[in-house]
Amino acid sequence: MNNILETKELRKTYVQNKKEHNVLNNVDLQIKEGEFISVMGPSGSGKSTLLYNVSGMDKMTAGSVVFKGIELSTLSEKEMSTLRLHEMGFVFQQINLLKNLDIIDNIIISAYMAKDRSRKEINHFAIELMEKTGISELANNDITQASGGQLQRVAICRSLINNPKIIFGDEPTGALNSKSANEIMDMFKVINESGTTIMLVTHDVKVASKTERILFMIDGKIEGEYNLGKFKEEDKDSTQREEKLSKWLLEMDW
Amino acid sequence: MTEALKEPKVRKCDQSEHFRYIKLYLIHYQNIIKENQYTANESNGVDVMLLKMLKKDFLRKKIITIAVFIFIMLSATLISCGSNMFIDLSNSVDHLFEKSNAPHFVQCHSGEFNQTSIDEWTRDNELVKIQQTAESINIHESNVYFKDNPTPEEAGVMEMGFVKQNDHFDFLLDLHSQVIHVSNGEIAVPIYFMQKENLKIGDTLRIKNDKTQMEFTVVSFIRDVQMNPSIISSKRFVVSDTDFEDLKENFGEIEYLIGFQLHDPGKISEFTNSYRLSELPQKGPSIDHELLKILNALTDGLIAAVIMFISLLLNIVALLCLRFTILATIEEDYKEIGVMKAIGILPPDIKRLYILKYFVMATGACVSGYILSLFLNKIFSANIMLYIGSAPKSIVQLIIPFLATGLIFFIVLFFCMLTLRRFNRITAVEALRLGNTGESYTRNSFLPLYKNRFFNVNIFIGLRDVLLRFKLYILLFFVFFICTFIIIVPINFLNTIESDEFVTYMGMGDSEILIDLRYTENIVERFENMVTYIEKDPDVEKFSTLIICKFNIINKDGYEESLFIGTGDPTVFPLEYLEGTAPVGDNEIALSYLIAQELEKSVGENIPLVVDDQIRMMQVSGIYQDITNGGKTAKADIAPNHETALWYMVNLDLKTNIDEKMDEYAEAFYPAKVTDINGYVDQTFENTTSQLKLLTLLAVIIAILVAMLITSLFLKMLIAKDSSQIVIMKSLGFSLKDIQLQYITRALVVLNTGIILGTIFSNTIGQSMIGAIISMLGAPKIEFIINPYHAYILCPIGLMIIVTITTLLSIVSVKNLNMSDMNAE
Repeated sequence: MNNILETKELRKTYVQNKKEHNVLNNVDLQIKEGEFISVMGPSGSGKSTLLYNVSGMDKMTAGSVVFKGIELSTLSEKEMSTLRLHEMGFVFQQINLLKNLDIIDNIIISAYMAKDRSRKEINHFAIELMEKTGISELANNDITQASGGQLQRVAICRSLINNPKIIFGDEPTGALNSKSANEIMDMFKVINESGTTIMLVTHDVKVASKTERILFMIDGKIEGEYNLGKFKEEDKDSTQREEKLSKWLLEMDW
Repeated sequence: MTEALKEPKVRKCDQSEHFRYIKLYLIHYQNIIKENQYTANESNGVDVMLLKMLKKDFLRKKIITIAVFIFIMLSATLISCGSNMFIDLSNSVDHLFEKSNAPHFVQCHSGEFNQTSIDEWTRDNELVKIQQTAESINIHESNVYFKDNPTPEEAGVMEMGFVKQNDHFDFLLDLHSQVIHVSNGEIAVPIYFMQKENLKIGDTLRIKNDKTQMEFTVVSFIRDVQMNPSIISSKRFVVSDTDFEDLKENFGEIEYLIGFQLHDPGKISEFTNSYRLSELPQKGPSIDHELLKILNALTDGLIAAVIMFISLLLNIVALLCLRFTILATIEEDYKEIGVMKAIGILPPDIKRLYILKYFVMATGACVSGYILSLFLNKIFSANIMLYIGSAPKSIVQLIIPFLATGLIFFIVLFFCMLTLRRFNRITAVEALRLGNTGESYTRNSFLPLYKNRFFNVNIFIGLRDVLLRFKLYILLFFVFFICTFIIIVPINFLNTIESDEFVTYMGMGDSEILIDLRYTENIVERFENMVTYIEKDPDVEKFSTLIICKFNIINKDGYEESLFIGTGDPTVFPLEYLEGTAPVGDNEIALSYLIAQELEKSVGENIPLVVDDQIRMMQVSGIYQDITNGGKTAKADIAPNHETALWYMVNLDLKTNIDEKMDEYAEAFYPAKVTDINGYVDQTFENTTSQLKLLTLLAVIIAILVAMLITSLFLKMLIAKDSSQIVIMKSLGFSLKDIQLQYITRALVVLNTGIILGTIFSNTIGQSMIGAIISMLGAPKIEFIINPYHAYILCPIGLMIIVTITTLLSIVSVKNLNMSDMNAE
């Protein structure tokens, strides 16, 4: 299987009060197509920064990020935006829906921008996604008229509307209760099974245990990697994966 | 509390840093009140903290603070300058009238008269204090050469009258407001010609005809209480007694200025009436004290009024900016305010801190504005100083502008306090939970995106946002509305005055050429020859004669009153009538607006007119506008009375080239003045027009700068407010261009709404406002003559380009917004 995303000596430095802070310290990373990976680590380890840099939302200081064979640093701002529009999806902890649009408009807006299908087709697909995620009755609601879990499902629908190759999630279950969190992770599982690569940032062991491969970061570096393998049906009621992961994390001093 | 306050350990964060000081101050303040231990040391500590807080707050929002400061300062400057102008004008006019010992009534007369009968009448009239008859030699401009010019003065509407200095009153003053005295070979020139010909002391003036030539040296420039304003179409030059006699012998026609001063100027109407009913000379216009004052003050008075108006508009813009800033600040600080409320700090105490900031800003701005006005007063009052002269300053002149500035200060502060009432509505729980004002987009289902079939997504989002959040855009809308108004009204007014059709407000129809014959020997014969010539001229398309004569009417009180009636056929070159139509037949009369008001007559009513010693009932057929001759004229198709005729005029339209024909007529009908209508209007309003042009240019520049500044500030603040939404869109794949298009759409939608409504408002309310001012002169319903290219194409497109460029420059910061900054670990 080919790598969908690769980084080499990726570095991100911030300057504050004339001092340099290396948030990402020569990160080397390969993600294969169809993988479901999570990135864990303590607060300030650079997890989210890694996410934003590999997705092109932030400019790296040094190193390279190659997405589907394209070096991101060679792209102009417009080319990067087009790449994100067509190839990537995002799900954030804060949900980050547009306040001035209702739910269905939040889902379809990036597809309307992409202009690779008719608006009728897009609308139809959006309704399909909403039905699959169990939120079709919320289509014309305002975003204030839905629970956190429902809104996160809206965000997932939005991330899927352009059939992206990869979905990035920054603590997507962070603001949800455990029931909603489980539902969201089940959705991610289904999405991954259809071939979409998923990269999550999380501090939740339960969430990470549902992913395939876990990267552990400290001080801007990937200190370790743990392969749990694909989540199977029989793992659903078992806590084995969690226990394995927890044990490994303890070994990593976390 | 005597120990020094220790700064709490808090995480440094740009937004909340200044709140450290607020919290510390308020907590300390509360404790002081409780423990009643307010000592000098503690107060110093508190003051230092307040200053720190103020400084940090100003630095945090440098640009908007500076902008609001400038607006308040400009508003204060202009109101101070405007009120100073009014005072200067009033004082200067009074001073001019005093120094020149202005006449209370002047009757111009050309032709023979008997001075003895005037003396007798004066002796018998208790109202009169003193009478003076002065001679004025009217010399045609073709005989006058300025400086070394080989060609004479161009033909125009200004009459050049050469006079001696008066003996008793109506003195002609120099630029130091001293009575002018000239020696032989010297001349004093009116300020009008000083400016027009760019004359200096020492320049020469020659008066030449076929027989002789006289040369003079310019030694002074004249402030003429009677003939200063350009709307008065005569100007007086002062020469010595000897030179006057020489001029009289060799040049021009004599006109007499029969002047009176009364014991009680309040009885001028009574006097005017008694003069008009007398048999005394009246072959010419008359003018009284009140009208002299109005005409002297008109141009600069208008300018001062406009300046005050602009000050008011700027103040409104400043208040709206303040409102926007305060609301944005409250929104940013919402959570912190909730925290303060939660820990028990009272809303009035929190409000006091915010008000302090605006108090400091308003004080600084108003004081700076007042000081700036002290330097700018000279510039604004320059025209007054030149034409009317300066009066000794009094303390009132310092106090009133200061009070006017103080008014701006109080308006600003009051408005801030009103806006800060929002504090009362903030609940701690809501603020802490939501962290913002909970701005909700009600009606999100309005204009849903999924139903949009036609518009580009970015344009749709921009348009939709304006509709959903219109309250937010009110500031921008209002600014564009005002800018449009400020640009369009002066442009339309200027265009109206400059257009040929403006002649309709001068009681005249729109013809191509106007021939004006006045004060000459054998005037009737000359006129009849002129008419015969024109009748036979194949190049003439149509013409009409107009002989302005004095008739007597019986007024509402039953007394006889004189009225200047333009006799002739008024239907050839028809006027626009406010009501009714032109008079037809010899028993109809049309009245000017002011005379109709005075006589309390409307269309259909009758006026008794004395014609050949018989009373003829004339039915009022129409009412028209006329700002000439004090606005009190009439028109009727009746036989002229040559005994009382003042002016003989011919209006005509040609089939051929106007310029060549004008030269032909000027030669053939000498000494009649031959002008094209546009030139006639131009010269009559030359000074007003040039001032108005300057004002228009200033208004356009101010409007553009204000539009740019407010657009820039507003968008920067809007971007800051919408930053989280912008970042989300960027994460979804919206490019910088997409987001720029959204904001340009918003700006242009608001701009075009402002332009449309501003244009409508300009052409209705703006027009009425100008009309209200001009109605005092006799034209209550002035209709703008709009140049559609300027008003509907150039201005809107110009504003759109400027706003678009400003928008692009203002939203550059969007490039730097990143999801990583929002969600920084």
